[in-house]
Parts: sequence; C-alpha cells; structure tokens
Amino acid sequence: MKNRGRTAFIVTYLAPAVLLYGVFVILPVLQAVGYSLFKWSGLSSKKTYVGFDNFKQLFHDDVFWQALLHNAWIFLFGGSAILIVAIAVAHGMQGESRATKALRSVYLFPNIMSLVVVAILWEFVYDPHIGLLTSVMKLFGGGATHRSGAAGIDTSILGSPTQALPAVIVTFVWFAVGFYIMLFSAGIRQIPQEVAEASKLDGAEGLFRFRKITLPLLWSVGRIAVIYLVINTLNVFALVFLMTQGGPDRKTEVMLTYLYEQAFVNSDYGAATALAIANFVIVMAVSGIVLRLTRKDPTGVSH
Amino acid sequence: MNAVISVGKKVLTVVALTAFTLAVLIPLLWMVLTSFKSGPEIFASPWGLPGKIHWENFSHAWQTAGIAHFFLNSLIVTVATLAFLIPIGAMAAYVFARYPFPGSKLLFGTFLGGMMFPQFLTIVPLFFLMNTLKIGAYSLYDTKLGLTIVYIAYSLPFTVFVLTGFFQTLPKDLDEAAMIDGASHSKVFWRVMLPLAKPGLIVVGIFNGIGLWNEYSLALVLIPSEANRTLPLGIANLVMVEHYQSDWGALFAGLVIVMVPVLIVYWVFREKIHETMLAGALKG
Repeated sequence: MKNRGRTAFIVTYLAPAVLLYGVFVILPVLQAVGYSLFKWSGLSSKKTYVGFDNFKQLFHDDVFWQALLHNAWIFLFGGSAILIVAIAVAHGMQGESRATKALRSVYLFPNIMSLVVVAILWEFVYDPHIGLLTSVMKLFGGGATHRSGAAGIDTSILGSPTQALPAVIVTFVWFAVGFYIMLFSAGIRQIPQEVAEASKLDGAEGLFRFRKITLPLLWSVGRIAVIYLVINTLNVFALVFLMTQGGPDRKTEVMLTYLYEQAFVNSDYGAATALAIANFVIVMAVSGIVLRLTRKDPTGVSH
Repeated sequence: MNAVISVGKKVLTVVALTAFTLAVLIPLLWMVLTSFKSGPEIFASPWGLPGKIHWENFSHAWQTAGIAHFFLNSLIVTVATLAFLIPIGAMAAYVFARYPFPGSKLLFGTFLGGMMFPQFLTIVPLFFLMNTLKIGAYSLYDTKLGLTIVYIAYSLPFTVFVLTGFFQTLPKDLDEAAMIDGASHSKVFWRVMLPLAKPGLIVVGIFNGIGLWNEYSLALVLIPSEANRTLPLGIANLVMVEHYQSDWGALFAGLVIVMVPVLIVYWVFREKIHETMLAGALKG
C-alpha cells in the first residue's frame, strides 16, 4: 500500500530540479573543462584543439600571477583584519540582551546590501571631491589638494597605484566582517556555561581566560571562518570590478576581473575558462591545505 | 585596585565597540544624508546637513535616471524566480528527506556540490548555452526569462539543502497516517507536509529573495540591454558607464532605493536569517 506509485512519485518530484540543475549548472561545469582545451574566439569555425596550451599560457602570464598575488594580499591582510576584529567584537559583546542582538544585526547590514551598493558607496567615500575620507584627511591637515592634475593625472585614492589595493581591502573588511562576528558569537555561545563558570572560579581572568579558555574553544569555528575567507577572497569580483576595474595599471587586478576581461573583452574564451578552472583548483587546494594544517588543535583541548 | 582595572577595561571595551559601530554605520548614514542634499551642498561639505530635504533627488533617480524601470525588472525576476524555485526545491527536498532510493545520497551530494562551485567556473559555458537555447526565434540570452531560469538553477543547491533538513525534522507518523487514510504521495506532500514546512519555506524564500535582489555577476554577463537591466546592473551602469555624476543627489538616492527594501526585509526576519546563515556555515 505504501509503495503505490512510489517510483513515479520520486521521478516526477525530482525531475524539475534535476533537469534545471543538470542543464544550467552541471553541464556548464563539464563544458568548462572542455572549453579550456580549445583556442576559441567565439566563432565556432575557429575552434581549435590546443590541449593544455591555455594552461601553459596562463602559467607564463604575468598578469595572472599579479592578479593571484592581489588575491593573496586581500586574503592575508583583509582576512587577518577580519579575524582580529570579529573575534574581538564577539568577545567584547557577549550576552543575548536586546541591545547586543540588535548591534550584531546592524553589523551585518553591509553584508545584506548589494555588493554593487557597497562598491559605489565606497567609491564615493574615497572620492577626492565629495568623499568622506578626503574630508577626514583635510580635518587632520593632510590631502588638502587631491585634484585631477592639469595633465589629467588621477591623484585620487582609487587612482593611486599604491593606495588602491589597500582601499579595496578596507572596503572588503567593512563589507564582510559582520558575518564573521556572527560566526564567532555563535562559537562563543556554544562554549558550555560550566566551562566559563569554572574558569572564573579558578580565578582565570581577562586576557588569560580569553587565551586559555575562549580561544581554544573557538578553534573549530575559526577553521570554518578561514575556509570562508579563502573562498571569498579568492573569488572577489564585483567589489574590484566596480571600484577600480582592476586598475590603475592592473594594480588591483584579481583573478576573476582578469577572467571577465579575457572572456568578455578579449573574447579569448579558452584562456578565460582555463583561468576559471585554475581559480577553482586554487580555492580547493588552499582550503584543503588550511583544513589539513588546522586539523590538530595545537592547544590540545578536545571538544 | 582590581576594581579600577576592571572599570578601566569596561570603559575601553565600550569605547572600542562604539568606535567599531560608528565605522560600520557612518558610511551608511552619510549615504542616506547625501541622498537628501542638493548638488552644491554635497560639494560644500560631506558632513553638512541639507538646508531642506531634497526629495526631488528621489524622483530624479526614480524617473529621469530610470531606476523605476530597473526596480520593476528586479521585482519581476526575483518574484518569478521564487515562485518556481520554492515549489521545485521543496519537491526535490521532500524526496531526498523521505524517499530514499538507490543513488539518492549521490544525487543529493551532487546538489550540495553546487554550493561549492564558484559562479565564474561556469560563466563562459553558461553565456554560450544561453545564446544557444532558443524559445521560438529568440535565444534565452538577454531575457528576463533566461535570467530567471538561471537564477532558479543556481539557487537550488542551497534551497534543497535547507529544506531537506527541514523535512527531516517533521514527524514521520503524520504522512504515514495520511497514507493509511488513502491519500496519495502527492496529496500528502501538498496537503500535509508543505503547510507544515511553511516556516522553512518562508526563511528560504526571504534568504534567496535578498540574494537575488542583490545579484550582480550573472546578470552582468547575461543581460546586456538596458530594457532588461535589473536594479544592481542599472545603478552600476549609471555610475560606471553613463557617469551620472552631474546629479550626485539622484545617484545617492538611487543607492538608497536599492538598499532600503533589503534592509527592511532583513530587519523583520533577522533572527531567522541569522539562524539560516549559521546553519549553512556550521554544518556545511
């Protein structure tokens, strides 16, 4: 009785999801592997099989390495800033009162907004004429004359080869940190009340308690946070694309903005797909390495 | 002595947290403030208050800059996506949760794998696929229909993941009792299980809705024409391509128009949204 029409039910109810997912997600993933082995400018007549040439070319492409390096800077500097701020805020703002909960929700605002709004807003923050930051700098006597020079040389922050990447990283931190605060707050909540109480009774105080009790118990949440950072920093796109387009002079180029350029500006679809696969492999490899390195909790606290 | 140190620490904590909160909020408040100012006021000082509230910035953004049109496009695409995504996702999730069959674990795993693929892995093949697939004489490329279909497909992994977990928590004897009463599998799903899953469906809908409303990268590649531009594409285009900077007030008003609906929805459902984000992060 229970099996009446069971198979038919399973098939019909899975079909729409499987079909959509198969055609629009799985098929393009498989195609990506194929595309990366061809030299192709979009006209099907000019599609030639080149084996791993696209990957070899990528390996010898200075722009790719430059882009990868910028992704690495965003991960290292942006990521550490996010971890430090998130753990500090989560630690300093424990408890479940209305006010703390409301504040944690406010911290998530930038994360909930469209990245497009975040990017444009910060472009304006850095704007030499109307920007918040310029006015702050003026307040402290610096940066009084940020103007496009007579020769049309852009002297704004996002136009500066040395300041543009740090400026993008600051925006990334502002955008992302709320999520990590929420993550670490949840981690701190999971610490059993007895452990916290016992450590207080034992006289463990302040920074010592934080280092010896709180931090080790946050290990597993910390691993998740780092994996998220790896994925999100190696896949930065909209923020850079909208704020600097990878410029000036590729000084903020990241893997995905370069991929976009290769595909939709240069019409070099084979090279773009090879880059997409390289990006995916790098994300997986770095995540794997992070998981391996952090598998054993060095503090030796089991939980 | 200890008391002094602990008071000092409390003060320090409060000062640091206040500074952090201001750092998060000031750019947002500045954006809202500027959206009410006139052009000369914006250039005079970023901190100054507007002499009077320039509502016309909003009407300029809405009408002259074409935000109304983009807003409507975003609304159509988001609502249409959710209208199909939720039932399709729920049907699949229900089968994964309640009807194990040979290979169901593998298939479920394949769906979850989709949460790991970065969108850019598939962007070039997807671009050509949309150009190739035709309905009548028109390809799916540069259509709201095409974008909607892609959005459904790319939202499925997360939706199926969350809803499968939800269906697993519903009591098992309910559907068994209904089946004994002679109801079919479909009837049990639509009449008994789906109504029970309503809280889960709402959360998934809100969560996806926010993400779809904000989505930029896929739309950027799949929608070149102004007629079909969604709100994020439209506002980005105003700034990047059309250099709408002659009307700063309207630009800021445009940003506020993009942001406000999302923040209102978020604020209403924030507890549930946090739970879902954490469930995804900590289990995934």
